[in-house]
Amino acid sequence: MTFQTYDCLQMLPIILLSLSGIALLFLGFQKSRALLLPATLLFLVIAFVANFLDWGKTYMYFRDMLLVNNLAMIFTGVVLLSTFMVVSLSGSLADDEDAQPAEYYAILLFSLVGAIMMIGFENLIMLFVGVEILSVAMYILTGSDKRNLRSNEAALKYFLMGAFATGILLFGIALLYGATGSFVLSGIGNYAHSATNAGGSMLLFYVGMFMLLIGMLFKVSAAPFHFWTPDVYDGAPSLFTAYMSTVVKTAGFAALLRILSVSFSGVYDFWWVAMAVVTVLTLLIGNITAVYQASFKRMMAYSSISHAGYLLIGLVGLSQASKPAIAFYSLAYSLSTIAAFGVLMLVARNRPLNAAVFGDQTTLARTDEHYDAFNGLARKNPLLGFVMAVSMLSLAGIPLTAGFWGKFMVFSAAADRGAVWLLVVAVLMSAVGIYYYFRVVIAMYFREGQTDTIRVAPFYRIVLIAATVLTLALGLLPNLFQGLI
Amino acid sequence: MNPSLSYSLLFVAAALFSIGLAVVITKRHAVVVLMGIELMLNAVNLNLVAFSQYDPSRLQGQVFSLFVMIVAAAEAAVALALIIQVYRHVKTVVLDELTDLKQ
Amino acid sequence: MSPHLLCILIPLLPLLGFVVNGLGFRKVPTSLVGIVGLAGPVLAFLCVCLLWGNFHAGNDAVIKTTLFDWISVGEMHINFSFQIDQLTMLMLGIVTGIGSLIHLYSIGYMNHDEGYGKFMAFLNLFLFFMLLLVLGSNFVIMFIGWEGVGLCSYLLIGFWNTNTSYNNAARKAFVMNRIGDLGFLLGIFTIMTTFGSVEYTDVFEQVVGMDVNAPVILTITLLLFVGAMGKSAQIPLFTWLPDAMAGPTPVSALIHAATMVTAGIYMVVRANVLFSMAPLTLDIIGGIAIATALLAASIGLLQNDIKKVLAYSTVSQLGYMFLGLGAAAYTAGMFHVITHAFFKALLFLGAGSVIHAMSNEQDIRNMGGLRKSLPITYWTFLVGTIAIAGIPPFAGFFSKDEILAHVYEHSKVLWALGLLGSAMTSFYMFRLLFLTFFGEFRGTDEQKHHLHESPLSMTLPLLVLAVLSVVGGFMNVPEVLGGHSVLAEFMSPLFDQARQANPALFEANALDHGTELMLMSISAGVAIVMAVVAYVMYVRNAAVPAPDSQVRSLPQQVVYGKYYIDDFYDRLIVRPVRGLGDAFYSLGEFVIDAVVGGVAWSVRSSAGVFRRAQSGSIGLYVLLMVLSITLFIALRFFNWKVFN
Repeated sequence: MTFQTYDCLQMLPIILLSLSGIALLFLGFQKSRALLLPATLLFLVIAFVANFLDWGKTYMYFRDMLLVNNLAMIFTGVVLLSTFMVVSLSGSLADDEDAQPAEYYAILLFSLVGAIMMIGFENLIMLFVGVEILSVAMYILTGSDKRNLRSNEAALKYFLMGAFATGILLFGIALLYGATGSFVLSGIGNYAHSATNAGGSMLLFYVGMFMLLIGMLFKVSAAPFHFWTPDVYDGAPSLFTAYMSTVVKTAGFAALLRILSVSFSGVYDFWWVAMAVVTVLTLLIGNITAVYQASFKRMMAYSSISHAGYLLIGLVGLSQASKPAIAFYSLAYSLSTIAAFGVLMLVARNRPLNAAVFGDQTTLARTDEHYDAFNGLARKNPLLGFVMAVSMLSLAGIPLTAGFWGKFMVFSAAADRGAVWLLVVAVLMSAVGIYYYFRVVIAMYFREGQTDTIRVAPFYRIVLIAATVLTLALGLLPNLFQGLI
Repeated sequence: MNPSLSYSLLFVAAALFSIGLAVVITKRHAVVVLMGIELMLNAVNLNLVAFSQYDPSRLQGQVFSLFVMIVAAAEAAVALALIIQVYRHVKTVVLDELTDLKQ
Repeated sequence: MSPHLLCILIPLLPLLGFVVNGLGFRKVPTSLVGIVGLAGPVLAFLCVCLLWGNFHAGNDAVIKTTLFDWISVGEMHINFSFQIDQLTMLMLGIVTGIGSLIHLYSIGYMNHDEGYGKFMAFLNLFLFFMLLLVLGSNFVIMFIGWEGVGLCSYLLIGFWNTNTSYNNAARKAFVMNRIGDLGFLLGIFTIMTTFGSVEYTDVFEQVVGMDVNAPVILTITLLLFVGAMGKSAQIPLFTWLPDAMAGPTPVSALIHAATMVTAGIYMVVRANVLFSMAPLTLDIIGGIAIATALLAASIGLLQNDIKKVLAYSTVSQLGYMFLGLGAAAYTAGMFHVITHAFFKALLFLGAGSVIHAMSNEQDIRNMGGLRKSLPITYWTFLVGTIAIAGIPPFAGFFSKDEILAHVYEHSKVLWALGLLGSAMTSFYMFRLLFLTFFGEFRGTDEQKHHLHESPLSMTLPLLVLAVLSVVGGFMNVPEVLGGHSVLAEFMSPLFDQARQANPALFEANALDHGTELMLMSISAGVAIVMAVVAYVMYVRNAAVPAPDSQVRSLPQQVVYGKYYIDDFYDRLIVRPVRGLGDAFYSLGEFVIDAVVGGVAWSVRSSAGVFRRAQSGSIGLYVLLMVLSITLFIALRFFNWKVFN
């Protein structure tokens, strides 16, 4: 593999996204808000196409700062696709007087730049900058519903904990730099190889590695660093929750995969037990707590924690096979999650707050995101019911959906490493998962409810259908996607 | 460069980091917590600059610390905006009194 | 057109029909439903004809078409690919040819039903899966087709789902087939782990070098045969097939007589290399087959429901096919599959025509004398009966005789039993014919008034099938009768590997022509004698089977009660399982409640802990995070001793 060095103007998606973000801010001065959504989608499509221009080649950009290869392009494609879907579900923003769609879209595009940097970084500076661009954007979007105290509270808490985690991450980077004298991934990897062979103390290196990993684990909401997730996902507007739980997670796992496989694969024996413990904890906490949630949205937050656990299994069984496995899993998870949030937003918007039914203060806030909101949904809205059912089946990992193959691939990656006990926990927890995902399906198909027919905008409908079809297609023909990697 | 000096720098940085950590854990006022976080970030900066001496190309660590400062400034701006937003709603920024989200 | 394109088109066309009729159910106008439903199979049949031409032009070489790489798991790659060889060509011909005829028939038979569009859609879907089953080039695709046809069979048996007993029949078929499928699936898994591939060609190549009767081959073949038992209704998994007659008659003809139930035979012939390496399994197959053939034939003797008689006859004929396979006479087995498809489809469609005319009456005790009012049905039914009874020169004679001749080489006892079965077949089929079409009409006046010949769309398939039933046997006339065994020659390349792998099995102690002629005349003679006996009993003496209320002698009672196998299963399996369930329920209420309660309690309490941690206070969150970081680092460094 030969690296060719190109200078700027080649790393097209990042540049395009930054420019189009600025363009959107200017478009925001226009009176007409109708233009914003199509413009954003157009920019995303352009970035998507630009991303795949270098298909099949491996380039190093900006003096060994960023690496672009097929895997990175796939991950970038997944986050761009996810963003495209999230943005297309944002039609209602234009009708909301208080919303600032131009700013939101611009921030989304900027945050994507951060995500792409996290996916392809070769230098830890890029990792740090990418993480920060993504995180700061998320703090703002979480608090974007300014009238809602929950949204603001979530944003503040997210910020404080996120900044704390950034501190840990940075300290780890600093220690690694001290130990290895380099920020470059391959340089750190070389040090790890030669130092383990030479023997001697690697205390600085190991502590640095741990702190770096912990900082990243926080970002992907792995237990015991997950505490922010339920509160923030619950408080943030559903649209941005969908974005956070897909794009941020995909980018975070791409970054973890990259740093573990390039820099730390030489010291696998040192970190894999710790990662396995984190994985088990994540699976347990995510799945078990999800069972006891009354709010669908909060359940999805815990579900996102549990999926971080499944993705971690792919990392614990680090091998060549885990790269496509994690990419596939991210795609499957993103499709189902966004579709589920899409249906949730429709259902929640269609239900006026029925505070009278639930008298007390705590439940007053979000009864529209309760499981009961889905009662009888499939009767009047067969399409929404079907979309939701497929998403839930895919998240639960039922065969013939993309989610099944995602789980299958990460599990088989771990099985190759012989981590059987990990798989036992994972399979047991998937069984628990079936319980809470099926609650929604049961509510939609077997409960009585007074849901009316919900009006769905044509484009919204197309996106939901496309996500469902893609989920099923990947479930039937997993190799369609696998062949790409 | 004298290794003992870099060790002492390391200890100072570690102490600074720990103080920041302790502030984040124990203090309840949002702005104070923010200050604790800034302390942690500055500990990192100190570390980076200290380690930069062993770096053959010398500059990497120092450049990194510039990035950290810039990002910290941006973060602080966002944080203060958020704190003001919350203050408008509940007239307090004591974190323990913000308990709308739990379980 | 290139053969690859044809391969893809063949299953795709019926699928297209399914999509149009299925999605457009209630929207597509009735007149169009039939055309769309029929177009798929007919065009597919044309493709098969073209493909046949291509296949011959290519000197009968195996054609393989890979559509895409389907599943990759570690080292194993499963392609979605089709394989065209002699066996596939034969099955394609049967499935699309007879499928087209039955689709045409269904237009006449079902177009007054309110679920007409749905029916045609399901029938098309069935055809798609059946084609997938025979086209696939590996066991996994076969399995998908296998499951798919099972699903369609389930849907179509319970098509008139307003009736509970029909639903029960559908469920019974479903459950029994699942038992078989489990065996099949385990067989596939064993193949995967043993050979690291599921592609027919790869697997068979590897088998050639192995020992005869190697345990792993025995395991695989027995498991595969369990699958075949379920799908092809062999003892002990046969009771679903007679019940499956609850579905509309075209379904019985297409799925439960001509095509789906022969999937088991197809599978054994397809895997003939494996089975040839396991003579022990072949012996077991032979034993089960003859038992099934005799048991089902004897039940057929006393049945009074026109479709039930045909159903038991199907089970019995399937037994014959397996009997042939058991004697390693794969060609003979396939030959019988083909001729049976002709005459059994004919008989079922004829029965459908009768039922149609009799306003859904199925009891032959209430029929009689239909010869005059349903001439076409009568003549074609007569042809079918002669063919199945094994009277020369109709199709059934040649195929059944070939099986019996091979069995005779193998074991004289089995041959004698086979002959007995053949005698019974001849008797109950002529009994059915005579009771239905001869004598006086025994139905109500209303029915008599309503009697009419069926429309052209129904009689045309009957006529075509009747011609096929007459001439179908000539495709494999044995040498002793001056033929050239065309089919045997055509299929011969399929068995090259098997011959190479286990030559002993194929060592011909070929019968001399004298013996062969003698065997033929004996079986033909027996069939004719039994036909005469039936004539004497039911036409000359005009005997009519007794109504259900009459007291029967004990043996008669046993046979009439289908040997009480259903009750036996009910007593031995269904009720004990249910009883065990009840026992577990009452006994387990305590234990299980304790366990489940314990698990639930621990989940709840741990969730309680997790949720208490989720207090909304970020001070606590950060503290917990720092504690766990410390714990991780401390554990890592002080326990694992990195310091040394």
